[in-house]
Amino acid sequence: MLDLQGYGPRLIEGAGVTVQLAVLSLLLAVFLGLLTAIAKMSRHWFLHRIATLYTTVIRGVPDLVLMLLLFYGGQIGVNAISDMLYDHFDIDIYFSFDAFAAGVLTIGFIFGAYMGETFRGAFMAVDNGQIEAGKAYGMSSVLVFRRIRFPQMMRHALPGLSNNWMVLLKTTALVSVIGLTDMVRVAAEASRATHEPFVFLVPVAVAYLLIASVTEWIFAWLQKRYNVGYGE
Amino acid sequence: MADTPTPLEVRNIKKRFGDTEVLKGLSLQAQKGDVITLIGASGSGKSTFLRCMNLLEQPDDGELFVHGERIAFKYTKHGREPQDWKQVVRMRAKLSMVFQSFNLWAHMTLLENIIEAPVHVLGKSKREATEHAMSLLERVGLTHRAKAYPAQMSGGQQQRGAIARALAMDPEVMLFDEPTSALDPELVGDVLKVMRDLANEGRTMIVVTHEMSFARDVSSKVVYLHQGLVEEAGTPEEVLGNPQSPRLKQFLAPKY
Repeated sequence: MLDLQGYGPRLIEGAGVTVQLAVLSLLLAVFLGLLTAIAKMSRHWFLHRIATLYTTVIRGVPDLVLMLLLFYGGQIGVNAISDMLYDHFDIDIYFSFDAFAAGVLTIGFIFGAYMGETFRGAFMAVDNGQIEAGKAYGMSSVLVFRRIRFPQMMRHALPGLSNNWMVLLKTTALVSVIGLTDMVRVAAEASRATHEPFVFLVPVAVAYLLIASVTEWIFAWLQKRYNVGYGE
Repeated sequence: MADTPTPLEVRNIKKRFGDTEVLKGLSLQAQKGDVITLIGASGSGKSTFLRCMNLLEQPDDGELFVHGERIAFKYTKHGREPQDWKQVVRMRAKLSMVFQSFNLWAHMTLLENIIEAPVHVLGKSKREATEHAMSLLERVGLTHRAKAYPAQMSGGQQQRGAIARALAMDPEVMLFDEPTSALDPELVGDVLKVMRDLANEGRTMIVVTHEMSFARDVSSKVVYLHQGLVEEAGTPEEVLGNPQSPRLKQFLAPKY
């Protein structure tokens, strides 16, 4: 039997951190991605410019650098806010920029840029006639979005979405640099302490695979759901 | 009938795409029960004209009245636009359109397609809308396809379904944009039959079509467009029976 030398519970806890981090980041990334795609398709040049800046900068800078920048930058930012509150309003609170929140924000922010491109492509793939039919029947643009564009877009977005998710899941391994104890960090610590890296790293690899397979199955189910009506 | 407002009237509609002026000032008035067919060669602007009537295209100039209500426009840096999109949404709900490529929503069953706008736009209850939809499906002979998705239906079935979807809105005016052009020849007849029935029961219809027999037998008025202008207009007998302009004569001449 595999002997985890007492690190078992901490590894499981670390796996929990990984899953929570990944899921929350995914939600944030999907939200930001939708906003980005909509902004990029907007005819207001300002929104378009902002969204383009966002996707260009984020996709062009290494994840690790962004994570450190956001973590330290975020801490400086909240310190400035609490200073300002104390100086001007005599309110004395101290915020600490939580490493978990920093991780979710950074990863969500990074993948929002990738999701934005995925969603934009998917929106463009929706047949214009489907949208025109909505308009011609007196639907407002919000209603057309909710009832026609979004569900039809999802069918095209899901393959890219599930791909982004897999990369996102593995990117969570970077959070150890900002002091978060995910399963990779626990395994690294345990390996150093026991000089038996494989005992810890192989289970971690298997755990990632397991999470990936379960979620792949969820994506397959979603794909089936959004494919309804398109044959097969 | 003097005090019922005219269902649809457009005046002096102009539209250009880049350097090409597609519509050069077109007017049309549809009284209750009118069946107006727009004919003309491809590129004559007839589809664009129809799409200006429900503002799927924004006309660069001209006026639009739906049920007597004038649609207000404003000028922005993107060109001429409706002043109040809510007004446009309201007016579109009174005009339903049947498209050349059907455009039934692919992710919904036929029944869902038909109740979609009555429920979400007109605010009908799902039950009421479903009952109405089923009676419309019976009319167009598609009761057995209620649960089918558009991709599982033939073109003719899809187009008849799309007509049922249009009827479900209880529209003031129905706009048909070449409704049979994308159909296999053997499926055209069923669709035309449904349209003839609608005309006979007094529906107000504006139909862009290449089906000259439909124009001749059913319409109260035929409008022949050429290069964005009305070249001839009148009763089918006048326009199709006794064409004046050489271009219309040539257009109507047997092709074989």
